[in-house]
Amino acid sequence: MDLQDVQALVKDYSATLSTQFQRLPGSAIIVRYIKNSYQNDPIRSAIELILFLFALKYLLSPSYSMQRGGQVELTDEEIDEQIEDWQPEPLVAELTEEEQHELERRPTIVGPTGPKVKLSNGRTVTNLASNNVFNFIGNDLLKERAIATLRYYGVGACGPPGFYGTKDVDMKAEADIANFIGVPDCIIYSQAFSTISSVIPAFSKRGDIIVADKSVNYAIRKGIEISRSTVYWYEHNNLEDLERVLADVEKTQKRKKKLTRRFIVTEGLFEKSGDIVDLPKIVELKYKYKFRLILDETWSFLTLGRTGRGLTEHLNVDPNEIDMIVGSLANSMCTGGGFCCGSKEIVDHQRISGAAYVFSAALPAIISTTISEIVGIMKANPEMLIALRENISIFRAAVEKSDGILECVSDIANPVVMIRVKPDYLREKGLEDGEDRLLQDIVDEVQAGGFLITRVKTVGNSQSEKKAKVVNGKVKKDSDEGHFMPCLKVYITVAHGKKDLERAGALVRSSATKVLGRKK
Amino acid sequence: MPDTKGRRRRSSSLIYLEPPESLEQRSDQAALPNLNANWVNSKGAWSIHIVIIICFKIFYDTVPGVSQETSWTLTNISYMAGSYLMFHWVQGIPFEFNAGAYDNLNMWEQMDNGDQYTPTKKFLLAVPIALFLLSTHYTHYDLTYFTVNCLAVLAVVIPKLPSTHRMRFGLFSSQDD
Repeated sequence: MDLQDVQALVKDYSATLSTQFQRLPGSAIIVRYIKNSYQNDPIRSAIELILFLFALKYLLSPSYSMQRGGQVELTDEEIDEQIEDWQPEPLVAELTEEEQHELERRPTIVGPTGPKVKLSNGRTVTNLASNNVFNFIGNDLLKERAIATLRYYGVGACGPPGFYGTKDVDMKAEADIANFIGVPDCIIYSQAFSTISSVIPAFSKRGDIIVADKSVNYAIRKGIEISRSTVYWYEHNNLEDLERVLADVEKTQKRKKKLTRRFIVTEGLFEKSGDIVDLPKIVELKYKYKFRLILDETWSFLTLGRTGRGLTEHLNVDPNEIDMIVGSLANSMCTGGGFCCGSKEIVDHQRISGAAYVFSAALPAIISTTISEIVGIMKANPEMLIALRENISIFRAAVEKSDGILECVSDIANPVVMIRVKPDYLREKGLEDGEDRLLQDIVDEVQAGGFLITRVKTVGNSQSEKKAKVVNGKVKKDSDEGHFMPCLKVYITVAHGKKDLERAGALVRSSATKVLGRKK
Repeated sequence: MPDTKGRRRRSSSLIYLEPPESLEQRSDQAALPNLNANWVNSKGAWSIHIVIIICFKIFYDTVPGVSQETSWTLTNISYMAGSYLMFHWVQGIPFEFNAGAYDNLNMWEQMDNGDQYTPTKKFLLAVPIALFLLSTHYTHYDLTYFTVNCLAVLAVVIPKLPSTHRMRFGLFSSQDD
């Protein structure tokens, strides 16, 4: 083929192409646009062309995911192999030796509970192991009132408080508690455990800061975990350490512009160790470092203070200085549920964002009226607390003798008396391991003598719990959970006679000597 | 102690990459659909861009004393500024559905779970480029207008590139964020 032929062919082709192009709708606009845009400025045209080509390239690129390490592709054989290899764990793990031992020794109460209970083995023992501090369980007035309420209101609301669940008596119970403690408002949750674990995440979110005591109870721990906040732990009841942590937080916050909510979380009366916090000092620190204070009064509500208003009354702190006071109605109150009280804003916020309030059924009316009744009883009979303190000191005096091997570690006002074997004595005897077993022996010995007591049994101590904490071969650390003091626990109530308590104390002491004496 | 690795940036660097989320954070992200970013894929979310641009143009045309060139440039700048603010400046989600697990990501990064070159992302990249080409054309290629428009379009195109995904620039943020 000649060169002319080729030229002619190309000419021919380009002519058809251009006529075809001109036939396209809108081609005139494009031609005009390109002619216009050139404008004797190659650089600008180049920029536009590059941008256009880039857009074209972007539009034609295939999409892909940015999630790295997402799914692993497995062949059918590999899937089969995995299924073959999989050994399902039993739903309920086999009991360990300790668990079996504990289960065998667990007493069963037959019939109603009270200061004296009947056990399944037919014996009647004095009950020093339930939290019936003012014997409200045996109160006939409360029973009558509860029956009357039941006849009028029925059993339960079967709906959340924001959704048919709220009754007039519920609102009265809330007002009664707020009035009793001396704060503007109060909200009642339906479960004691989920109160604090709902209050914390209602206020503290991801990125916020919580400074908490290392030995707070399990419910608080769960609340902190759910809230996704940044947690700083301070040594148990060590306010110097708290101040150090607060100062540290403030220093790092100052350098950042972003402000976050900041909370101090502590128990008033500690569940694990039975001691109380120096509330005036914490309030002072909270103002100094601009933190909010969430105080868990689960164990101190009704048992501390001149009239049972809790730790604030006990240490003469204005309850309005504490941002959120959380308490349980299921402990000394012998009813059910929990409460959080504080300013009106604090309470109103929880009515739409406290998960346990929004999503669980309201308390039955029986409980609400009983709460109101009990608040009335507490207000009218402050002498009950004097009697309680007296009982506590009688018992403690009977247990603790200067040359004895036992010591009470709980606060003198705490009706849950926690008794441990003196560490020096244990070390001397070489009995530091298996202390739980020894304490169980003491409990059994005391029970044989006619008194029901118990010992510290904490969630997180059992083998299965320990196993659950190991995630991906690493031990999950949310704080140092080492504060499980093996202790005997004795619940003193006003319903016990002085003689009984003296005998019980002496029995605990002699049983301990007997059990420990048996070892070597 | 809080988890400090990952969120801490080197004191001297201006650029830092948002680290990948922890397992806990990812499970929070997946807890509920991301209502903040999902709507971009729904009906009408594409056409509203065109409608808004036309509205801007009509609005600037009605202002007395504004020439065609200025009107196009203002339309271009307003759209670019608005989309920059919406897709690249504001971080997190206004709703309390994912326990704050999206707090460190802007809307562009939340869209389609961070996947690249998805149809919506392609459309949202094509719109500003087309608008830019249009406005330079109608400003009759005046150098000043061209420069302004070009800078505006670069400001929204660069953060959309896959290579700048989760990238942060900071002049004075030497501390951990």
